[in-house]
Amino acid sequence: MTSKTSSPRKGGASRSSATDMSDAIPLRYGDDPYVWACWLYYEDGMTQGEIADAMGVSRATVNSYLAEAREKGIVNISLEPARLASLTIAQELKRHFGLADCLVVPSDDNARPLIDRLGVAGAMALQKLVKSGDTLAVSWGRTVMSVGEHADVHALQDTTVVQATGGTTAAFSYTPELCAASIARAISARCVGITAPAIVKSPELRQMLLDEPLLQEQFVTLAQANRILFGISSLRPNSTIHTSGFFESVSLQHYLAAGAVGVVAGRFIDERGRPVAGPLDDRTVGISLDMLRRIGTRIAVAGGFDKVPALLAALRGGYVNVLITDAATGHGILRADGVTGLDTRISQRPKLAQTPSSYRTHVKKFLNNPNEVVEEMLDGVVRAHRDYIEPINGSHRALVAKSGPRPGKVGLVIGGGTGHEPCFLGYVGKGLADAVAVGNIFSSPPPDPIVQCAVAASGGEGVLFVYGNYAGDVMNFEMAAEIAEEKGIKVRTVLTTDDIASSPVEDREGRRGVAGNFFIFKIAGAACDRGLSLDACEAVTRKANLRTYTVGVALEPCSMPQTRRHNFEIGPDDMEIGMGIHGEPGVTRERIKPADEITDAIMDNIFKEMKASAGDRVAVLINSFGATPLMELYILYRRVAQRLAAKNIEIEANWIGHYCTSLDMVGASISILHLDQELTDLLHHPCETAFLRIN
Amino acid sequence: MSENAARRLVSMFQAISEAVEAEKDHLSELDGAIGDADHGTTMSLGFLAVKAELAKLDLDQAQISDVMATAAGAFLNAVGASTGPLYATAFRRAAQAVAGKAELDLATCAAIIDAMGSGMRERGKGQRGDKTMLDAWLPAADAAAAALAENKEADGFWRDVVASAEAGANATRSMIATKGRAARVRERSLGHVDPGAASSVVILRAMASSLNRAA
Repeated sequence: MTSKTSSPRKGGASRSSATDMSDAIPLRYGDDPYVWACWLYYEDGMTQGEIADAMGVSRATVNSYLAEAREKGIVNISLEPARLASLTIAQELKRHFGLADCLVVPSDDNARPLIDRLGVAGAMALQKLVKSGDTLAVSWGRTVMSVGEHADVHALQDTTVVQATGGTTAAFSYTPELCAASIARAISARCVGITAPAIVKSPELRQMLLDEPLLQEQFVTLAQANRILFGISSLRPNSTIHTSGFFESVSLQHYLAAGAVGVVAGRFIDERGRPVAGPLDDRTVGISLDMLRRIGTRIAVAGGFDKVPALLAALRGGYVNVLITDAATGHGILRADGVTGLDTRISQRPKLAQTPSSYRTHVKKFLNNPNEVVEEMLDGVVRAHRDYIEPINGSHRALVAKSGPRPGKVGLVIGGGTGHEPCFLGYVGKGLADAVAVGNIFSSPPPDPIVQCAVAASGGEGVLFVYGNYAGDVMNFEMAAEIAEEKGIKVRTVLTTDDIASSPVEDREGRRGVAGNFFIFKIAGAACDRGLSLDACEAVTRKANLRTYTVGVALEPCSMPQTRRHNFEIGPDDMEIGMGIHGEPGVTRERIKPADEITDAIMDNIFKEMKASAGDRVAVLINSFGATPLMELYILYRRVAQRLAAKNIEIEANWIGHYCTSLDMVGASISILHLDQELTDLLHHPCETAFLRIN
Repeated sequence: MSENAARRLVSMFQAISEAVEAEKDHLSELDGAIGDADHGTTMSLGFLAVKAELAKLDLDQAQISDVMATAAGAFLNAVGASTGPLYATAFRRAAQAVAGKAELDLATCAAIIDAMGSGMRERGKGQRGDKTMLDAWLPAADAAAAALAENKEADGFWRDVVASAEAGANATRSMIATKGRAARVRERSLGHVDPGAASSVVILRAMASSLNRAA
């Protein structure tokens, strides 16, 4: 966020400095009083009266200067792009789905959590939409709770809030009871609960409960609701619906199989918004979808990409006529429903009249046949590094270390797609990996070469597979492991997951493997070379993976040899922290900052997870994604060393250069291996490979 | 019967290969929107390899499970990435499911479709709604089982299978990818049909017209 307060505001200091030279226009404004007046007004934040004093003219003159400056185009008033986009999206959502109203929260670089921003917006909608005498039904959920926390509507009389579903004792803070109570408090309404569980054991029990006079009375109130506020829940694997315990997991699976994509007020709907029948229908105490649709004002508040399919379904089904969401989600809904042309409208009005003739669409590369790049590269690799590696059975897709595998030693097999050189083939040789399977660009090798590697690396004591955690690699290496086992080779696998930006710490197993591979391979190779058992090799490799932390930053995208085009885009002034080595989205995309600030952001993230104390030792890897030169890597290293020194953490060893690249991407990653005695010994164990030699 | 079951299955694979060849560019184009634009090429390579490998079989001796197993091996060696293991596993599971079966009747066809779907699901550890080929194969398998239970004729059986796969593939338009390459573009995958689901429809249509005609 830019801060305007840095310029001197109205006050003694700025005024006196202005009056000091009130005789003449300060040099920087040339002889243009319009610019001077505008500067003082818009930048320095002075009032027209103060400007009149400073300029030595009348207030009326200042007023006319300012007005004319706008006419002359000296000053342009523009709407902040994010706000323009959110208004455009809201208008389009309203039109496309025939909504009564729509409020879209601008994307604001996630300065505040989405849930809070939606809560504020929902509170604003309540203020506008709820009138005295209304009965407002309220469903449950995190977003609904957030609306309650942010709303504060005064001066309403005779309003009633009624719980839209039965209650639950589930261990979360946004149960139906709490949500209704919170909204009731916020709008000073009488609160009517539904005093039964939201889901009961049997249809018979439900009927018995509904026959109770108390519940009948509560349902009468519910039927009187003229407005309803509800959230929309996604059924995606990571959504809270699965973890909240509100629904039984067995029943959820039933609804999923029947095509349910979302939950509205405790009821399941499919992608067209049609009710999905299932085992819970007759056991649910609460508003039905038909009842909901009969309510006049149906306010849905929900956001997040994950909810797009569910929101779209709810909109298609007509359950919503006032939508409150965020810009990214709103945009996603429109795109998912086939609305096109929005992008051009959102990206600011003054479009470039013409693409300049110097505009490039292709990146220059050293190529012969673009389809043969991998083969040609491997031919070069095999010729260049014949001292360390040789093809297995003549294939360049499976390479074995010349003096690596030997009887009695656990074999180490690594591998993955190409485009990351010197990963992975640069780390094959004595004391490190025994064999490498090579895939196409950014694409896993098939099982066959992996099996060949396993056979070549096997010395009778088993083989360890170590590779990055990517869906394609996992499937191919798993199949290869099955085949190798059939051939009598014992296989163990360690997936590398060092990219701490790729997934939160609770989902450590879902993280990707990136440049920290370098450390993990090194440790694994040393353990194998020392003749440790398969169990011990696996254990220490797992430990190395757990103690390796990497965060990358991309400044410019990479381009594929076949297309010679960028395979994603990063804005001219932007960078992406946490971007993966194939251009996977990172944590934040923001404006580029000075190198030290970027390094600090990365190190702060690493320190958050790495529990290192003063006196501990680490190894540091500053890795270029391909196009970032050593000069800049040393600038990053400088700051990393300063930050570690400030914590009295000692750098045992460092590597700076191209260790795990992403074709020609501009950017770098920082990896830290938190050492202990065992890892330190293994790190220093001798090895002889094309890109790493320790002796 | 002029053709044995193994021969019919081989001509089915030939029909699939032709259909994929015809849709190759379209599939790559779909992939270009959310992946790396090679899905058409990948599938074409895979089925050309299957066709070539099947040509080497002695079809007077071969069982239908041999045909499926051969297809599995050929596809796997020709295609890396994730499509290779997914289809290879699908064919391998189908081979296991039809082991010992001599007739390619509707029950066997339903077993093949079911085994393929569940093989892919196991290998990819995915489910419906992930915006993958499973969104076409799993509904197709359900439709096949239902049509079989209702004793439908071949026409009705295949019409149901193809219609369910098409509906499933179309539904991927409003899904967000969580698996594979497309997961990297997150919300940008919205509005696009998943190329893997689209090629599944091409395959199932080819299976339908080939096996229904030959029945």
